[in-house]
Order: sequence, then structure tokens, then C-alpha cells
Amino acid sequence: MANFIQLLIGGVSMGILYGVVAIGFVLLWQTSQTINFGQGELVMVPMFLMVALHIVLKIPFWPSFVLTLLGSGIMGYLFERLMIRKLLPGGVLVIVIATLGLSGFLRYGMQIAWTPQTLFFPHLFSTKPIELGDIIFSPEDIWNIVLISVIIIVLHLCIKRTKLGMAMQAVAQSRETAELMGINVRHIITLVFVLNSVLAGTAAVFAAPIFFVRYDIGIFLGVKAFVAAIIGGFNQIRGALVGGLTVGLAETFAAAYITTAYRDAFVMILLLVVLLIKPEGIVGIKEEAY
Amino acid sequence: MPLLETQKMTKDFYKLRAVSQLDFQVERGEIVAVIGPNGSGKSTFFNCVTHIYPATAGRVYYQERDITGLPTDKIIRLGVGRTFQLIQLFLEMTVFENMLLSVQEHRGTLLSRLFTKDDSGDVERAHEILEFLYISHLKDELASNLSYGQQKLLDFGMVLMPRPELVLLDEPTSGVEMEMRGRIMDYIRELNKQGQTFVVIEHNMDVVMNLCERIIVLDYGEKIAEGRPEEIQTNQRVIDAYFGVEE
Repeated sequence: MANFIQLLIGGVSMGILYGVVAIGFVLLWQTSQTINFGQGELVMVPMFLMVALHIVLKIPFWPSFVLTLLGSGIMGYLFERLMIRKLLPGGVLVIVIATLGLSGFLRYGMQIAWTPQTLFFPHLFSTKPIELGDIIFSPEDIWNIVLISVIIIVLHLCIKRTKLGMAMQAVAQSRETAELMGINVRHIITLVFVLNSVLAGTAAVFAAPIFFVRYDIGIFLGVKAFVAAIIGGFNQIRGALVGGLTVGLAETFAAAYITTAYRDAFVMILLLVVLLIKPEGIVGIKEEAY
Repeated sequence: MPLLETQKMTKDFYKLRAVSQLDFQVERGEIVAVIGPNGSGKSTFFNCVTHIYPATAGRVYYQERDITGLPTDKIIRLGVGRTFQLIQLFLEMTVFENMLLSVQEHRGTLLSRLFTKDDSGDVERAHEILEFLYISHLKDELASNLSYGQQKLLDFGMVLMPRPELVLLDEPTSGVEMEMRGRIMDYIRELNKQGQTFVVIEHNMDVVMNLCERIIVLDYGEKIAEGRPEEIQTNQRVIDAYFGVEE
């Protein structure tokens, strides 16, 4: 039982991290019908930025963190204004191809411009295990769960309780109707891209001590988050979170109880099962086919 | 100067000319009907005015300002309200949320709307309009759960929420029961007295003849007649357009 609870905490800690990146996929899809295959690189670039600020330039952690989020936001803004806005009329396939290209450019650009090596990033919280009876767990996992949960709750409240959030929901439901209500859809889409990048930047800071900083970390995180969004439901924010937790728990338990060699394969099998049984995802809403 | 004016407005869909060289004017405080057989270009005309479709040629002026090519949301925020033949609602939101959403963008900025709680009487106004339309008991229902007639009323209520100076109504009474039809007409007259201007596309001739002071008739995208209701009723070109010409 103690082992089970330890795995549960570890799985939730990992899953909530996937979830926060997956939320970005869902936000972009809902507001602009965009699938961003460069999502993982929106995590990778802030990781390197954090290393540059905190490790190389030795700027204290919190100012580095704020500057990283600022940099992420600017990256999201430029991403939307210089690329997505121009390509959006071409449809989803054009966006997919373009973001795949951007993803490769950022990944290998970082490898050439900085390093192909893995960079170490210090832990944000104590890693000294806490013992509660037979249960031993890392405070880092608990802090990750608590802090990312707070971020997700704040995001949820902003979307549900503010006028800006209502406008975002309106754009997600019908862009045409939103325009007729006087909502500036272009501004909302830009804002969502900035928000997505800031969320990815936040995930980067939490993920850096766990996964370390590598030029190709974006593939790993991007694919996991994409799979999480599909498993949970691509058209629901809570779906991304449910999907993230499902993936995190599935790979953790599979690694512990089956074999570590197949932990990723187990997640993909889970994806296939969900697609066969409930293609809209665990909490996704079935959409009409056109 | 007219409140709304189009000059030589033309809209082509490939080789089909939906609206042809249309000159149209509405003065402040008027209630004008746009009628014509199916496919005569009435809704396309509305769509070009509000830039749902870009006009192929011609200009649109609102409050003496050239609004040709402005984005739809900007035209709406300038004070133009618009309903559609096919109802435009946020189906996954409640009736009340729909009402409030229809007005919130008319004040403040993107960021101020993140923090402000001020509704400047919107809640009260939404209650009043829903009450008038007999759908206040449905305020917490999802819009998707409403009947077609109720959705039509909600759509009408939403367009009135921001008090637009010019209201373009596309078949506002279709699918609405008799008694409510009369109430909607009375309400339009009342709002008109308070200064709002209406342009109405309508197939129901009782509504057109009783509500509107001036009628413009379109056929194959062209204006074939314009005048007071009694003049239009006896206009031979209009009769021919609706009933065909005897061989």
C-alpha cells in the first residue's frame, strides 16, 4: 500500500506537469482551431532561457523566473503575429506543417547555437525524502502538485469568472457569433497564444530540475502533452488535465508494475484504447462531423 | 446626412451577382423594411454592411463615416446591432450569460475587462429584456435547451442589450408565436420612439405593412422599388417580382 501511495504521488506530480502543457494545446485548438506541434519547444526554449539567466548570468531565481515568463509571453506573441495569423486562413493542415517546421528549427537551432549536451538545473525545492510511516515521498513532488494546481485554479477562475474569460469562451464556441457581439477575435487569439506560452514557460521551470535541460526535451514533453490532450478530450480544458494525470499515472504504474522499458508504449496503448472506445476523449464532448 | 448609406454596393459570388449597384439610405429614427422574393439579396446586403462578406464594389457609410472593410466586431462596437435568419447564440452558455456577453465588449479594454466587475446596469437591463420577452424564467438554462422560438427571442434580446443606434433585423418574427410577434412589434416601435433606427428583413407582410414607414424591394440583387407601404402594395414591378409576369 505504501508503495502504491508513493507511486500515486509521483504519477500525479508528473501528470499535472503534462496537464499544464496539454491545456495549451486545448486553448489554442478551441480559440483558433490550431494544433501547435511546436508546443514542446515552447517549453524547451524557456528552459534554456532560465539556465541562461539563473545559471550563466547568476540572476537570483525569482527575477529569472519572472523574466523567463516575460520572454515566454513575447515568444507567444511573436509566434501568433508573425506566423499563425498569416497562416490561419490556410486551415489546420498548413498550421500543422508550419509548426512542425518551427519545432525542428527551434530544436536544432538550440543544439547548434548552444549545446547538444544535457544541462543540469538545480532543484527548486528540497529533495530530502519525507517519511510518513511507511510512505516515503519527495517534497518536490508535493510542491509541484500544489503550485501547478494553484496556477490551474487561477486560470480556471479567470476563464470562468472574468469578462475576458467569457470572451475567450465565446470565441471557443463560435468565432462568428463572437464577432457579432463586438468581440475582437484577433486580440483574443493573440492573448491565448501569449497565455499558452506563459503556461509552457511555467511548466519549463518546474520540469527543468526533473528532466534536465536538453535541446530535444520538447519532443518528449510535446508528445506526452499532445497524447494527454487527446486522451482527456481535446475540446475541454479539464480534459487536458484529466489526460495529463492519466498519462502521468499510467506511465508511473506501468514502469513500476510491468516494466520501465515499455512505459511509453503503455501510454500509447492507452491512447489507442481511448480512441477506440471514446474517440472524443475521457471528458471530451462529441463534435458534429462536417 | 443619413445614419446608414450604401453607394453602388455590389456583391458577386463567382459569376452570380447577389447584390447589384445598390444605393440605400436610412435616416435616423426610421423603421425601414427590406423585402423581396427568396434569393433577392436581402441577407447578403446585411452581410456586406456588417462585413460578414466583403462587398465586391461600393462603399458603406455609417454616422457619416466610411466603414467599408472595417472588421465586423468594430462595426458592431460603433453601434450597429444585427440578427441573422439562422440564430447566432453561444449554445453552451446560459441565457443570462449570452445576454451579458452581447454587451460587455462595448466598454473598456481587453485588459480592463479582466479585472473589472462593473456591469453598468447590464444585469438589470438583461433582466428587464428577458422579462419583456417572457423568457426570464429560462435565464439559467443553457441556450441549447431552448425551443427555436425561445432562441429567436433570446437572439433579439441580445441585439438590443448594447442599445445600438442602428438595428438590422433579419426575419425577427419568423418562428415566433402570434402574441409574441405583436409584442416584438410594439417593442420595436417603443425603442424607435426612444431614438433607435431599424432596418428589417421580413417575409410576413402584416409585420412589414404595420411596422415600417418605408419599404425597399429587392429582386435579383437590384432595387426595384422604394416607397411607403401603400405605394409598394400597388407597385406592378413588385407584384410581378413576387407572383411572376403573365405570358
